Amino acid sequence: MMQGWSGHRLALTLFLTVLVAWLAIMAVLMHRASLPADATGPMLAVFEPGTSADDIFAKLTFAGATPVRQTAFGFIWVVTSEQPGLAGKLVQHGAIGAYRELPISPSLAGCFALADAKVTEYMGL
Amino acid sequence: MNTMTDTKQTPWYFTPAVIIAAGCLVAIVNFGVRSSFGFFTAPISEAHGWPREIFSLGLALQNLLWGIATPIAGALADRYGAARVIIVGAIVYAVGVALMSISDTPFLFNMSAGIVVGIGIAMSSFGIVMAALGRIVPPEKRSWAFGIATASGSLGQFIFAPMGAALIAAYGWQTALLVLAASTLLIIVFALPLLVQNTSSSRVSKGEADITMRQAIGGAFGHGSYIMLVAGFFVCGFQLAFITVHLPPYLAEHGISKEFAGIAMSLIGLFNVVGSYMSGMIGGKYQKRFPLSAIYILRSLSIIGFVMLPITPVTTVIFTATMGLLWLSTVPLTMGLVVVMFGTRYMATLYGFVFLSHQLGSFFGVWLGGRLYDIYGNYDIVWWMSVALGLFAALINLPIREARAVKFAGA
Repeated sequence: MMQGWSGHRLALTLFLTVLVAWLAIMAVLMHRASLPADATGPMLAVFEPGTSADDIFAKLTFAGATPVRQTAFGFIWVVTSEQPGLAGKLVQHGAIGAYRELPISPSLAGCFALADAKVTEYMGL
Repeated sequence: MNTMTDTKQTPWYFTPAVIIAAGCLVAIVNFGVRSSFGFFTAPISEAHGWPREIFSLGLALQNLLWGIATPIAGALADRYGAARVIIVGAIVYAVGVALMSISDTPFLFNMSAGIVVGIGIAMSSFGIVMAALGRIVPPEKRSWAFGIATASGSLGQFIFAPMGAALIAAYGWQTALLVLAASTLLIIVFALPLLVQNTSSSRVSKGEADITMRQAIGGAFGHGSYIMLVAGFFVCGFQLAFITVHLPPYLAEHGISKEFAGIAMSLIGLFNVVGSYMSGMIGGKYQKRFPLSAIYILRSLSIIGFVMLPITPVTTVIFTATMGLLWLSTVPLTMGLVVVMFGTRYMATLYGFVFLSHQLGSFFGVWLGGRLYDIYGNYDIVWWMSVALGLFAALINLPIREARAVKFAGA
């Protein structure tokens, strides 16, 4: 019984398939979650990973955004502006997208949802 | 049927690989959907003008119900088959999540997010999945199956949490909840291959005594090794919940930025998938009580090192990665010991009681962490309490007799 297949291969195939499906779904969701071009106010500007801080700073300046702070992910900045259309300008000047919130927060595999909720609340971007 | 012995004439959806994959997918969705609830704290509280405590109370109730309902769900799974319980649980879970979107009073929220979702999670949780897999796979693959099911639950949390947050950003929190409720119904499809395991029509397995469930529960609680296992798992819950809730503010006190702490803590989730899987493999090769004790000792040593050394980004990352490897790795070994001592017939019920102890430990980990911090103004005493409890758990697991309990052994 159960000969002819490898447990490790099954685990690897299953987990990789799930991760690929997840990436595809996340790509669609992230596209839908980005702010419309006319949005303004405080937002997260996301650039290509690896873009230098100087380059990002220049792009933010050209877009008319006021940098508030750089996040722990160097390519994500918290910015703001009172002029309408900030989100669209950020994209025009090289940002991948602009978001109100990003789904970046630790969620630990545990059996205590209250703990997960508290840590998510504490650590969300 | 208790163990698949011939796959020649078995339909593809009842083959071992498909059954195991299906069980893993159930675990991914079950653990995953609930892991995204934290992201709903702010939008739901703000939408209804509630203080955050109301949301927290709802989730606290959920945990309580999850713990209390697990042995009951296990008993139902042992009596009527895991797949049926998982399917009913998925429906309850989905209804609860959907109702969360329209619960506009604290009472209704506690009923939906707390009671209904808690029961739904218990009925479709990986404990029930592991019970099904434990009966389906042969003994030599059993521990590995527990490992992959636990790792799947961990993976589910890792992938569903950002998905839940993205859903909120894209469609708003109410639609996001409805999408998650619909996702929960996928469990029904994934559970169908598990229908191959139908306890109600099964006979007593070879080497197992023909006893009633009442006798099984009484026999287990009269068995010293089971009590030791239950006590040890309390410590697991205490440590994990304490670290999850109180490590972020502890790191902040020591000058670690919130965002770096977030990245470091995410390592726990990532390494947990690896640790759970490896634990299942190790449990299949060696006596389970030794690696289980080792996990608790290593947890204590990790905590000692972490609190004794200066808190820096490097020590934080080392600590979280190490704890990740040791996080849910206790689960496959604990479930494995339940099966070794009592067989597969009542494994879901008996694991359910062990899990209830884990949930009680979680409650005390969170509560005592906050209470003692308020009294002493720091976390030192709770860290050292975690160390002591870890050593206690390591010691109490060592004398466990890794053999079939007398009352459960067949003639």
